[in-house]
Amino acid sequence: MANSFRPTTAGSPPAIEAHGLTKRFGDFTAVDRLDLRVEAGTVVSLLGPNGAGKTTTVRMLATLARPDSGRAVIAGYDVVTQADQVRRLISLTGQFAALDKNLTARENLILMARLRGRKLAAAKAVADELIERFAITEVRDRLVKNLSGGERRRVDLAASLIDRPRLVVLDEPTTGLDPRSRQVVWSTIRELRAEGVTVLLSTQYLEEADALADRVVLIDRGREIAAGSPAQLRAQVGQQRVDVVAGDAVAFDRLAGLLAESFETTLLPDQRTISIPAPNEAADLARVATLVSESEIPVDEVALRRPTLDDAFLALTGRPATEPELAPQEAIA
Amino acid sequence: MISVTPHPHLDDRPSPAWRYARDSILLTGRSLRSIPRIPERLLDVTIQPIVFILLFLYVFGSAIHVPGISYKDYLFPGIIGQSLAFGIIGAGVATSNDMTEGVVDRFRSLPISRVSIITAQVLAQFCEALLGMVIVVGFGLILGWHPHLTAPHAVELAALMILGVFAFTWAGVFFGMLVRSPDAMQGVGFIVIFPLAFMAGTFVPIAGMGAVPRAIAHWDPIAALVASVRQLTEGIHSSGSLQLDHPIAAMVVWCLIIVGICVPLALRRFNHMLTN
Repeated sequence: MANSFRPTTAGSPPAIEAHGLTKRFGDFTAVDRLDLRVEAGTVVSLLGPNGAGKTTTVRMLATLARPDSGRAVIAGYDVVTQADQVRRLISLTGQFAALDKNLTARENLILMARLRGRKLAAAKAVADELIERFAITEVRDRLVKNLSGGERRRVDLAASLIDRPRLVVLDEPTTGLDPRSRQVVWSTIRELRAEGVTVLLSTQYLEEADALADRVVLIDRGREIAAGSPAQLRAQVGQQRVDVVAGDAVAFDRLAGLLAESFETTLLPDQRTISIPAPNEAADLARVATLVSESEIPVDEVALRRPTLDDAFLALTGRPATEPELAPQEAIA
Repeated sequence: MISVTPHPHLDDRPSPAWRYARDSILLTGRSLRSIPRIPERLLDVTIQPIVFILLFLYVFGSAIHVPGISYKDYLFPGIIGQSLAFGIIGAGVATSNDMTEGVVDRFRSLPISRVSIITAQVLAQFCEALLGMVIVVGFGLILGWHPHLTAPHAVELAALMILGVFAFTWAGVFFGMLVRSPDAMQGVGFIVIFPLAFMAGTFVPIAGMGAVPRAIAHWDPIAALVASVRQLTEGIHSSGSLQLDHPIAAMVVWCLIIVGICVPLALRRFNHMLTN
């Protein structure tokens, strides 16, 4: 295996190639013999619950943590022995904004540009272009400590893209973000991909991986448990559904009969829920809702339900995701 | 369009020494710029000594009699030593704060000289402590302190102060990386550095202390510092232990020991933090 790690001089080496990557903290194995291959120019999502080892993996790939064993090579450069070259090719946007709180947004961008080797005038020019690109003009002279979470994240992302990185590593970039900032992150990832930049995106949102990634790697307890295209993942996990929760047991029976006439239903009597596949999303929701409301049968809820990370784990591994912490506060579904 | 300029070539890199100097200056500038934006950071090295000056000069001072010298002239060298010692706490808190911030991660993921990160930390803290020192001395002069300095003594004093600030800053930066949080650094400072600064003949003569604090003071580095400043500014010679008989030499030795221990340990600690 080790032979395949020689830096390739001809052709384009994979953006990321990791074999047996392992990181322990005391007795706890955060990343356990993880293999990962990311082709140049693709978006790959590391999908997993809190504590799955996503951040540790990302930190090892970004040269911020040293693997206990195994190797990782970025565009032909070893993350341990050629860390400096790796740092010139990648940018990392961590879970928490990596900015100086006591500098303004613009000062931060200028500092990062200068640290990347630009002269003052060139650094200012880059900073101003990024400020415009990321719609932070109105807050550019505000201290970062006075910015909102979403504004910080946008400045942070801008700082990551000062030099054209060949690989952009994003560690849960949308966790806890407001919808507008999340949109900026998503569209940035799409633009990067269009420019041929490789993106490694860690997330705990199935929807995010599905929307952005060419390939999804599901990880849990530091190990890969499944991998494939979003379409394969969707095929295995199942589609979005409309769930109708009846007001009482009688209503449940009546609704089940009514809905079975028009839809393919799955009955969950324990939860008084009738579940209907909804490949057309809102249109299906509207059809079901109309039918239910015209029937005047008492219901508690009619809701469009997207598959979650838990559904994916259940479908792919037959067990729920190991979730030591609370689910994200801002669920996307 | 996201990319603004083409990716720099891997081989047109500046020399490591140049890169180290450039990155250290950029990062020091970044720390210094934040000083006026977090005024509470300067409080440690300015307001605190001023409060002590006012307290001891006008509240306790009338009850303290030191033979052969006015209490004002006795007090100021002590205050200088004390604020220098408190600089350790300030440097530690600032370092601990910085290391727990995400921005250090960003610096570390950049292709910059990594030693420049810690160099900048020390340089910025050094400047801050010197600034505090200037404010304290200026305040003393305004209040009527008349150091009896000859020109050679002034140079000697300035050199000793700079050496002291340098050594104590390294100690603070090292402690700052060792503790878990800025609060822990405050705690350590209060338990260890606070008493050492008080026992150092800062406010009252060591000779009059109880046996235990006197024994500690005899080998307290801050006592050597205070005694040196007093000897240079007031011509008062201390005695009681080897270091107090030769305070200036003792101070230089202490600084060399502190630098000799703290610099390699701080660098080692920093490297350890880098890989975990």
